[in-house]
Amino acid sequence: MDVLGQSRQEGVGRKETRRTSLVFLMSFSFVMVIFSLYGANASVFDKARSTLLDFAAPVLNVLSKPVKWVDGRIGDVQDYVNVMEQNKQLREENDELRIWMNEALSLRRQVSYYERVYEMQPLPGAQFTDARVIGETNGPYTRAMILNAGRAQGVKAGNAVVNAEGMLGHIIEAGQGASRLLLLTDFNSSTPVVVEGADVEAILAGRFNNRPQLRFLERRDGVVLQPGMRVVTSGAGGVLPRGLPIGEVSRVTEKMITVDLYANYQSTDLVRVVNFDFPKDVTSEEEQAPEAAEGGDTNG
Amino acid sequence: MADSDLKTILLSLTPLALGLFGAILLVTPLRLFQGIVPTPIFPLAVIFFWSIYGPKYLPAPATFVIGVTQDLLMGGPFGVWASVYLVAQFVAQTQRQYFYGRDQHVVWMGFCIATVAAGLLLWIEMSLISRAALPVLPLFAQMGTTMLLYPMLSLAFSSVHKRVIVER
Repeated sequence: MDVLGQSRQEGVGRKETRRTSLVFLMSFSFVMVIFSLYGANASVFDKARSTLLDFAAPVLNVLSKPVKWVDGRIGDVQDYVNVMEQNKQLREENDELRIWMNEALSLRRQVSYYERVYEMQPLPGAQFTDARVIGETNGPYTRAMILNAGRAQGVKAGNAVVNAEGMLGHIIEAGQGASRLLLLTDFNSSTPVVVEGADVEAILAGRFNNRPQLRFLERRDGVVLQPGMRVVTSGAGGVLPRGLPIGEVSRVTEKMITVDLYANYQSTDLVRVVNFDFPKDVTSEEEQAPEAAEGGDTNG
Repeated sequence: MADSDLKTILLSLTPLALGLFGAILLVTPLRLFQGIVPTPIFPLAVIFFWSIYGPKYLPAPATFVIGVTQDLLMGGPFGVWASVYLVAQFVAQTQRQYFYGRDQHVVWMGFCIATVAAGLLLWIEMSLISRAALPVLPLFAQMGTTMLLYPMLSLAFSSVHKRVIVER
């Protein structure tokens, strides 16, 4: 094969006038980075990002189709190879699930009985929006997905996103018809969680690999975290509902406690956006005072 | 001639189009080999190649557009990829005298050096923005994949460059 530019005279040696614009733009982009240091979430950037997201969504929709088709075919071949083994596995799982279903049904009856007895106010239910993954950010320092549902479908920034296995992350940007989902594994992701069985609250923080860590643990004497303990959302902060399954404690060392996520990002295609509105009719004392006065008037 | 000028402009948009395609590829759920292999940073190869073999077809504003588009698509901090790509272009253009017409192995080495420089800058910028020393493993994996893929990409690019843009 002939090598490009073999006659080295061609092209080289001309006065490089383009260098000036290169240096100028390089400096300009550094200024932008410095600006990002202090205003990463400036509204102008957010607006630009969500606008481009809406523009790119149709392109990504088209591009993701052949990719998923190929993925599906590879999956099919693997399924054919493992059909017997999978069949056996599914039977076992089915038996186990049937036992769980019966237990859940009887528990549901019990809970509704207690709710009636104690006249409990049930928590508001969450609304779900189904969406498809049309994009996945593949940079070294970003773990995010792009979904084909946006503000028009009721998706808002802050909403949790789950798949059949567990929680995936939360929405950080909602365009008109597309939104960006920050995965639990991203460095900027921190989710308030509770470790079941130990009743310990913590923050689940991503660290760019498949196992995020538990930080800022609320330490309690006599409580020991053990591998296998379930980690679910705590609902602290009022953005996410309580009890969304996240994963299990995988390793406990002096330095770090890591969590194995239930959700498998590699096979995630269909997701549900959890639109949860935290009850907000709790008012502060100052706000309550005039309301009480008004109430008094009408009653009196 | 106005006609040939227009043609030159349109043809010279090919590297820009390839770069933008690469940026979109980075937000496509490719999940190479079940997601074990990270998506190569295709625009970096485009920028390096045309900085050596045809800088006039990929001027700095085009690189800037690719970088900013990628920043916005990925949803990361503004200006990071733009600065990384422009620095890679700067490294390539300043060393152009040396690499132009050399054996492909030498150019490949050059690409590896530019990639390391780009990766280092990316790490510094992202660590500063996150206010923590970020892990380097994901960066190594992605830059490594890009480096390994460069010889193949360079073959494809030289065919595009010769047949489509320069039209020999």
